[in-house]
Amino acid sequence: MNTLSEFRIAKPGTVQEAVAACAKHPGSRFIAGGTDLLVNMRRGISSPDLLVDISGIDELSEIKIDASGTTIGAGVTIATLVRNTAIAGQYRALAQAAVAIAGPGHRIMGTVGGNLCLDTRCIYYNQSEWWRSANAYCLKSRGDVCHVAPQGQRCHATFSGDLAPAFLALGAEIDIAGAQGNRRIPLSELYVEDGKAHLTLANGELVVAVHLPPAPPPSAYEKVRVRAAIDFPLAGVAVALAAAGGKVGALRIALTGTNSRPFVLAGTDAFSGRSNDEKLLQEIDRLVQKQVQPMRTTIASANYRRVAAAALARRLTARLFAESAG
Amino acid sequence: MTADPIADGKLARRGVPLIDGIEKVTGRARYTADLDHADALVGRILRSPVSHGDIIRLDVSKARALDGVVAVVTGEDCAHTYGVLPIAMNEYPLARGRVRYRGEPIAAVAAVDEETAERALALIELEIKELPAYYTSADARAPGAVLLHDDKPGNLERDVHHTFGDVAQGFAAADLVREQQFSCAEINHAQIEPHASLSEFDPATGRLTVQTVSQVGYYLHLMLAQCLELDSSRIRVIKPFIGGGFGARVEALNFEIVTALLAKAAQGKVMMQLTREETFITHRARPQTDIKLKLGMSKTGRLTACELQVVQRGGAYAGYGIITILYAGALLHGLYDIPAVKYDGYRVYANLPPCGAMRGHGGVDTRHAFECLVDRMARELGLDPFAVRRANLLQAPTRTLNDLVVNSYGLAECLDKVERASGWRQRLGKLPPGKGLGMACSHYVSGAAKPIHRTGEPHAVVYLKVDFDGSVTALTGAADIGQGSSTMVAIAVAETLDISLDRIRVIAADTAITPKDNGAYSSRITFMVGNAAIDAAKRLKAVLVTAAARKLEARPEDVECVGEVFRVGSGDQSSLSFADVVAEALVDEGAITIKGTFTCPPDFHGGKHRGGAVGSTMGFSYAAQVVEVSIDDATGLVTVDKVWVALDCGHAINPLAVEGQVEGSVWMGMGQALCEETRYLEGLPAHASFLEYRMPTIAESPPIEVQIVESHDPYGPFGAKEASEGALAGFPPALVNAIANALGIDLNELPVTPDRVMDALIARRRQARLASTLKAAS
Repeated sequence: MNTLSEFRIAKPGTVQEAVAACAKHPGSRFIAGGTDLLVNMRRGISSPDLLVDISGIDELSEIKIDASGTTIGAGVTIATLVRNTAIAGQYRALAQAAVAIAGPGHRIMGTVGGNLCLDTRCIYYNQSEWWRSANAYCLKSRGDVCHVAPQGQRCHATFSGDLAPAFLALGAEIDIAGAQGNRRIPLSELYVEDGKAHLTLANGELVVAVHLPPAPPPSAYEKVRVRAAIDFPLAGVAVALAAAGGKVGALRIALTGTNSRPFVLAGTDAFSGRSNDEKLLQEIDRLVQKQVQPMRTTIASANYRRVAAAALARRLTARLFAESAG
Repeated sequence: MTADPIADGKLARRGVPLIDGIEKVTGRARYTADLDHADALVGRILRSPVSHGDIIRLDVSKARALDGVVAVVTGEDCAHTYGVLPIAMNEYPLARGRVRYRGEPIAAVAAVDEETAERALALIELEIKELPAYYTSADARAPGAVLLHDDKPGNLERDVHHTFGDVAQGFAAADLVREQQFSCAEINHAQIEPHASLSEFDPATGRLTVQTVSQVGYYLHLMLAQCLELDSSRIRVIKPFIGGGFGARVEALNFEIVTALLAKAAQGKVMMQLTREETFITHRARPQTDIKLKLGMSKTGRLTACELQVVQRGGAYAGYGIITILYAGALLHGLYDIPAVKYDGYRVYANLPPCGAMRGHGGVDTRHAFECLVDRMARELGLDPFAVRRANLLQAPTRTLNDLVVNSYGLAECLDKVERASGWRQRLGKLPPGKGLGMACSHYVSGAAKPIHRTGEPHAVVYLKVDFDGSVTALTGAADIGQGSSTMVAIAVAETLDISLDRIRVIAADTAITPKDNGAYSSRITFMVGNAAIDAAKRLKAVLVTAAARKLEARPEDVECVGEVFRVGSGDQSSLSFADVVAEALVDEGAITIKGTFTCPPDFHGGKHRGGAVGSTMGFSYAAQVVEVSIDDATGLVTVDKVWVALDCGHAINPLAVEGQVEGSVWMGMGQALCEETRYLEGLPAHASFLEYRMPTIAESPPIEVQIVESHDPYGPFGAKEASEGALAGFPPALVNAIANALGIDLNELPVTPDRVMDALIARRRQARLASTLKAAS
C-alpha cells in the first residue's frame, strides 16, 4: 500500500469552527467519509497537511422533511439516505442514485456532501505518483498537457457523482457556509465545465445542506457501468417527469459521468404539452447526444458513453410515462 | 506407484471443509504481510519510467548516503539472469543496461522506514536513452523493429509449427469449411493478496531465510541460489498462508530475488510489500492473443480438419512463454477426435510487463475460438450444439495425434448432465427476447507428465512421520495456495490408513523440512502428490499391520485394520487400538518415517516432436457447461443468469472442495469473458487497481450449479484427476454462444464489455438500414 504523507487532523464541533479552521489554513481540506480524498492522498495526488474532520458535526447529519420541502445535511451518509423510506417514497431518483454508489462499505462512510463535491476523475489522473510522473503529469495536477485532448486548453476530467443528477432533476438548492457568511444557490451553480476546477466553492467554503422542493414530480435514476457494483457511472441519468393525460407537463433530465460537471439537459422545456411517442423519445435522444461531451477519460469509449446516456434518458422517460398512465 | 481406484471412500463422500479453513475465516491465518517484521528494514523498488531504453547513468550515491538507508542494490549487484525454463532465462532481477517495460525494477533500497525508503528512491539519479517501444504483436514483428533481445530476430520468442494428419484432405472432405479471427484481451490473475516477501540474511551463519507468496518454493530456492551466489544448502524458503495464486506466483518473481539481494546487502531482514499497482506490473498472466481458426465439418457435424494460428503478445521477457505458446496448440487435442490438425504459434516480445502462466494455461483462448466456431458452423448446418460435440467424442483409452494419452474420458456424461439440468431441449429457442442459452466444453491436464527440470527424481515425494504420541504427520512440499492441497493430502492418508482425519497433521512447503515439490501449478498436486501420499500411507499401513500382527501373534495377512482398530477375526480380545499398534511399531525402531513417491512413466511424456512434452499428462479432466444470459440491447449490458456445469474429475477426493474449485474456475472464466482486461497507455497500466481492473463482484455472480462426473481414472489417486482448471475455458465461449443465441450477433473479441456489444448492435443496425435502402433502391 502506498504511504500516506504526514498530516494533522482537526475535529471542530460546529460548522462555523470548521469553516474558520479551513479558511485559516490554506493547505487544509475538509474530510468526512474520506472515500474519495484518502484514495487520492495515498496516490500522492493531494497532500493536505491539515484535515478538518467534519464527520462529528451533528448539524450536518440531519434530515428534515416538512411542508417547505426536504433538507438533507451534507454529512448524512449515503447508507442513511438509502435507508430513509420517506425520501425513497418522494424522491425516488435520489434513492436509486444513492444505492447505486460504489459498494456497501463506501456507502457507510461516504456522505451526501462528499458525493456532490466528488473530485473529477480521469485515467491519466487517478494513478500513482510513479505513474503520473512517468507520464509527465497532466493539466489537472502538476502538468501542462491534458493527455485526453493534448491540443486543448482545458482539463477534461469527468464528474462521476451519482447524487448530483438526481438532485438537479428534482430542482435542488444548496446551502454553503464560508468564513464570509452563508449563501444559498441552485445546485446547478455549484458546477462549471472545467475538470481542473469544477466547483464554484471559494477557499474554505463548505456545502452544508441540500434543499429539495416539496411535492416533487415522479423521478428515476439509472447508470451504466461495466459492473453492477463499485464502478463509477460511465453515464448516469436522472429524469423527473410531471405528466398528465399522456402528455408532458414538465420534464427535467440531468446527467453525470459524461462531462466535467453534472448538468441539466437544456431544451426539455419545449416538450411541455407533447405526447408520449417515439418522436419525443428520439428528440430526447438527439438532445442528449448533442449536449454530452464524453472524452477518453475512461477505458470505455467516449462514443459508448454518449450512446448509453441517450439510451438511458429515453428509457427512463418512457418508464415514467408508463408509470403515470398506470 | 499407482493407486487402486476405491469405490467409496468414507470421508470423501461427505466432503470435508479445508483443514486450514477455520484459521482463514477467523483471521488467525498469517499471510506474508502479517508476519512479524517489526525489526525488519523496509524494501522499496525503483521502477523504469520508460518502456524501452538504455540506461546511460544510474547514480545511487545520494540515496546510499541518506540517513536511515541501510542498503541500495542495482543491476550491478546481480549479474545472473533468472527464469523458470532452463532454456529461457533472459531476465535480470534488476535491469542491467537495458529496460524493456515501464515498471521494470532498476534499483532497490532497504531503509529503516517507508518514508526514508521513498525519499531514497527519489534521490536516485537515472538517465535513460529511449528506444522505440512496441505495444502490439504486429508492431513488434514489423520489419525493421528494434529487437528487445538481440538473439531473437523479429522479436519472436518462439514459433511453433506442428502438423498432424492430412489437413488438406480433411478440408477437402468437409461439407462446410469456415475460418474466423478472434482476439482475446490480456488479463491478470488479480489474486486478492498483493505480493510480499520477507527475507532474512544471517551474517553469522551465512544463511538466508525467505518467507514469501510463492506457489513454487523449490524454483525460487534454485533462483535465489543462482542470483545471490549462495550455496543452495544455505537457503530456506517457507510458504506462509497464501491469498490466491492462479499462476501469478508459479515462477520466481523479481521482487522476491530483489528482497533477498537487499537482505544480503543489508546483512539483515527486509520486508517488501508491493502495492496493488506493482502487483499488477509484476504480471505473468494470460497474454493478449490473436487467433485465426479454420475448421472443416461434415453435414453430420463430424470435424474433418483444423487449422489454427495463434499470436501471443508475451511482454518483455520469456517467463513461461514457450510453454504457453506450445499449450495453445497442444490442447487442441485431447478433447475431441479431430483427424487432422495444423498449428502455427507465434510468441512475440513487446514492451509490456511479461506474461506467464494463468489458470487454464495456454488453452483458454484457443478453446474459446474453437468452441465459438464449432457452434457457428453447427448453426449453419442446422445441427444442435450438443449433437455436434457428441459427434466428435474420443474413446478412452486412446492416444491423440500429438501423442497425448487419454486414459479416462467422462465428457459424454458431462454433456448429458448439463443438457438435462439446464432444460436445454425444452428451452432453447423458446426464451423471451434478449435471453439466450449457450454451451461449450473444455478440458485440462492433471500436471505435466514431463517436468520442467529433468532431474530424474520422482514427480512427487511425501513423508509420513509417526511417533510416541500416535499422531501422523504428513510432510509435503506442495504449496497450499487456497486450493486445498493440504486437505487433500490429509484425506488421502486418512482414507488409506482408515484413520480419523483429526489424527493427521500436514506440514507443507518449507524447503528445510518438507521434501522437495515442484509446486502448485498445472493442476499437478492432487494427481502426483495425492498418489505419493497414498503410496506413503500404504507403506505405513504395512509397517503398522506387521507390528499389530507381532503383538497379536498372528500373520500380517490376517490382520484387519478398520477405523483405527487392528484385529484378527471379530473377537474383541484380539483387537488393538491405534496407539497400541504405534507403541508396538516403535519398539526397537523409534519414530517411524516413511517415504512415498510418485513418478509418471516415460510412456506418458508426450510426443517426440519438438515441444511434444507440453500438454502431456496422465489424466485430463473434462467439463461441459451451459450459460444463460440476458442482454440489455439499449446499453449493451450482459447479465449471466445461471450456469450449469459438470466436471469429470475422475473421482472427487473431497466433493466439497471440488465443487468450490469448479465454481471458482467458472467464475474466473466469467471474469475473462465479461469484463476483465488489462489496458496500457503507452506502456503504462491503466488497469492497475481493483477499480479499473474489473473483476466481477458478487453482483455479477450467477448461481452456478455444479455436477461431478467420476470416470475413475486408472492412474489417478483413488481414480481422481484435476478439478481446478478444467471448467474455466468453457465459460467464455458458452457465454458468447449464448449471446449469439439471444441476439443473433457473433462477437469475436473478449471481453464482451457493454461498449463492444453496443458496437456490434450499432453495426448490425447500420447494415440493416443499408440493406433496406438498397432494397428500396432496386
